[in-house]
Amino acid sequence: MTRVVEIPSHLDHQSFDQFAKSFGEPGDERLLFDGHSIHWGSPYALTGLLSAGQWLKEQGKPQPLFTVPNDKDVAGYWARAGFFEHAVEFFELHGKVPHVRAHGTSDVLLPVTPIRGADDVHGVVDKIQEHAQSMLRDLGLESQATMGFAMALSEACQNIVEHAGTGGWVAVQAYHWRKRLGRRVVVIAVADGGVGFKSSLEPTQGHLLGDRWSDSAALEAAIFQGVSRFRDPGRGQGLAGMRRYVDRWQGKLSLRSGTARLSIVPPWDDDVPMTDHLPPFPGSQVLLIIPARQES
Amino acid sequence: MGSQSIDLRSVLHETLSFGYGDLVTRRTGAAVRNGIVELLGDASGDDVTFIDFGKVRVLDLSCADEIVAKLLIEQRARNFVLKGISDGHREAIEPVLEQHDLAALAQDRAGTITALGRLSDGARRAVAWIAEHGKLDIQDFAKDLELTEEHARDLIAELVERGLAKDSEDGTQAMYSA
Repeated sequence: MTRVVEIPSHLDHQSFDQFAKSFGEPGDERLLFDGHSIHWGSPYALTGLLSAGQWLKEQGKPQPLFTVPNDKDVAGYWARAGFFEHAVEFFELHGKVPHVRAHGTSDVLLPVTPIRGADDVHGVVDKIQEHAQSMLRDLGLESQATMGFAMALSEACQNIVEHAGTGGWVAVQAYHWRKRLGRRVVVIAVADGGVGFKSSLEPTQGHLLGDRWSDSAALEAAIFQGVSRFRDPGRGQGLAGMRRYVDRWQGKLSLRSGTARLSIVPPWDDDVPMTDHLPPFPGSQVLLIIPARQES
Repeated sequence: MGSQSIDLRSVLHETLSFGYGDLVTRRTGAAVRNGIVELLGDASGDDVTFIDFGKVRVLDLSCADEIVAKLLIEQRARNFVLKGISDGHREAIEPVLEQHDLAALAQDRAGTITALGRLSDGARRAVAWIAEHGKLDIQDFAKDLELTEEHARDLIAELVERGLAKDSEDGTQAMYSA
């Protein structure tokens, strides 16, 4: 039996829950990811789709099908962003895949890149340096923002290496966010199909909260209390560092894991800090948005 | 009191063979810390070691924790100055020092010495004063900062306790300088 997973035509961190709901909790049926009508997919969407495919493979589920977006511009953008290059590992692709290799451009600052270990984190940080300074200058941010950006990227990726229990994906893109913000933004998206925050922290934190231990409690513990699954007192500083970075540059940080999403919400956004009881989704999804400085 | 300078980028290249030049990830930080400890060798406890960040492009929190915080904890008897520190390095080092309740001396690229980490405001002013004057004269120090001599001595005691200054043989306390 094949079950269709509907993908919203505009898939980003805001519509991801709709996708997660359709993804559901797969059994032994074969899934068909219906992407033919997609008009826009953010880096969050691309890394999230790949982590879903990865999770299905690692769970031994039947290989899912994926219909390529009909829109040539969208398919071309996804190809440049490296999505299809990795998607063939997890999905049976249907439709016309553009023959474009992934490469860095003014919008695709870092194509979708697998993160499996510390060497991959080094590779990502090294690569982003090629673009970081000019990219942040375009946003009107001082040179001080550059190292912080690489630091936040590194810590977001290390979260996979240290906590997911499996590999994951990162992508960095820049685009003009007309609809919501009317400004250019740089976006870091990191996703994995691993154990998620709740399971990762449960051995050290679960007993403290008993019945109240949940995805949202785990996210709060990680980001506000710097809790880590390791007992080393120096651990758990990465997320706090990411939070300081977005605070300083009026950015947004959002972490989704299991059934909860915690966001550090800047003044320009109307998101809520914590959303609970979301449709479950494997692993964790991290989003950083750094907006261009608003001209006074 | 002798001194030694350790270039972190060289240590990185000698310790790990993958060819990347940034100080990121815990694994890299731990390897670089071990490389530093090997270079420290038999240096005397009175020697000052400058850990040179001047050629380091990116430093993340995990690596700063492994290199700086753990080095200070494990090598408590030694004297370190973090050299070539940029604002970006500071953003990574300051929180990890505070997390461990540590403090360290830092010298920026212009040569200015400041204190990083957890330290009272008065002790920070003392660091700035000693860095400016080279050596401490407790009366001048107290007079310049409009402190009682007792308060001035307390601030210096804090610096000594935090490992930022040391009792010297002639009874004064000297700050490490470049």
